[in-house]
Amino acid sequence: MTTAPSRDRSGLLILAGQVLVILLVLAAWYFASGTLVKKFILSDPISVAQTIAAWIRDGSLWQHLVVTLQTLLFGYGIGAVCGIAAGLAFGVFPRVDSVVSPYIVAIYALPKIALLPLFVILLGIGIASKVALVAVVVFFILLFSTRDGVRDVDADLGAVLRLMGAGQMEINRKVLIPATLPWVYTGLRVATGYALTTTVVGEALSSNRGLGFLIESSSVRFDSAGVFAAIVVVVALSFLITGVLGRFEAASSRWRS
Amino acid sequence: MTRNVIELEHVSKEFDARGVKVLALDTIDLAVAPEEFVALVGPSGCGKSTVLNLVAGLLPPTSGAVRYDGAPVQGANRRVGYMTQKDTLLPWRTVEDNIGIALELKCRAVPARERRERVQAMMDFVGLTGFARHYPGELSGGMRKRAALARMLIYEPETFLLDEPFGALDAQLKLIMHQELLRMTRARRLTVVFVTHDLAEAITLADRVAVFTARPGKIRAVRQIPFGRERDAVHLRFLPEFGALHEELWDELKDEVGKGTET
Repeated sequence: MTTAPSRDRSGLLILAGQVLVILLVLAAWYFASGTLVKKFILSDPISVAQTIAAWIRDGSLWQHLVVTLQTLLFGYGIGAVCGIAAGLAFGVFPRVDSVVSPYIVAIYALPKIALLPLFVILLGIGIASKVALVAVVVFFILLFSTRDGVRDVDADLGAVLRLMGAGQMEINRKVLIPATLPWVYTGLRVATGYALTTTVVGEALSSNRGLGFLIESSSVRFDSAGVFAAIVVVVALSFLITGVLGRFEAASSRWRS
Repeated sequence: MTRNVIELEHVSKEFDARGVKVLALDTIDLAVAPEEFVALVGPSGCGKSTVLNLVAGLLPPTSGAVRYDGAPVQGANRRVGYMTQKDTLLPWRTVEDNIGIALELKCRAVPARERRERVQAMMDFVGLTGFARHYPGELSGGMRKRAALARMLIYEPETFLLDEPFGALDAQLKLIMHQELLRMTRARRLTVVFVTHDLAEAITLADRVAVFTARPGKIRAVRQIPFGRERDAVHLRFLPEFGALHEELWDELKDEVGKGTET
């Protein structure tokens, strides 16, 4: 009873500090633009806000955002499902793993962005080539985290259930999968950051839509405010995704506290 | 003449510890009759737990034969209940869901309502009332042991393999658990192999005590304990015969304890 109000107060203090930091940064930015650095190179926060407002009004922001979200969603979904399935297979059948893993490791070592030109030839300049690239990036992250998770499962937990009369499917369902889940969550969380990066970079390199394209096209027009505005939208998107994922993970692994 | 439930014949077990061969058990012979309670006593690292792993079918012997009910043990032996020394509760399941897990399995498929009642009764029995919704990570070591014991008791296997089940319990609770285990062995006609390093506990519970040597584990001595199943776990220790047996077995054990402390 006595700790609750003081915790509220310290929470408020932290929030006030956080607001203060962002205000200071924005103020410094505002005064630096046009004095220390040319406005042409470093736009000011107000122009950035105006640019975003203009994009919202003419509907272009929504168009680009939808393309980026689609790329992210499909690429992430396909990559995660395939990666988890392959990781489970590799973990459960170590023989398969030892045969295939040298090739997997070799492909994994390749910077995946180098595959983009290939995907553009195969799938075109549209959304499909970026979806493929994101899927490949996410696939490898989930493959390795899931496989390591399966390998890390304490064999004794399964043995105890086997003595109780459990079949292999029951052991998979009651031991293997729940024990691997925290590793899968970690992989999913790490993969979101990579997926967003890959989407934006892919769009910037070769695309005609999406937030990455918006950054790139503003840049070639020397529209400093446009570059910053697009970056602000990407940051907001990333913040939102991380927040949602964190909530989900916390709710599903309460036993680890 | 009745057939033995468990038979180990010239059993040896060798482990490969990073290229170094370690002989854990050296030509052991051990037979356990139906409804017999056998305690294995010895210094740590002497291979007592390995005997349980062999009977449970979790490890194959390097040489010799392990038989259960006349047939060689191949793969997991589903007729035994095994309480390992290590904590094998599932950390993501609550205490009640851990205790009831054997009843969920297809081979039993106990309806949810009956399962809840039996879990509740079992939790009261081992003194975990009120901890149904806790996770194993939130319990003390002794409470986790009791939960693991309850998880095994609830599905009533015919043979118990117990590896220091009461090691982490306080003295009073240990006495109560001893009485309950004795009562249960009578009521359910159980066969028990009980591993402990506590000689008094072994004499209190068992029909026969086998003393192991330090590694490589051999059976150094076997003594019949003449108290019968209808014994009183609390007052037994004040009998002069109890003291004499303890003295006699301790003479066998004490030479080994100094040798086997490295694990």
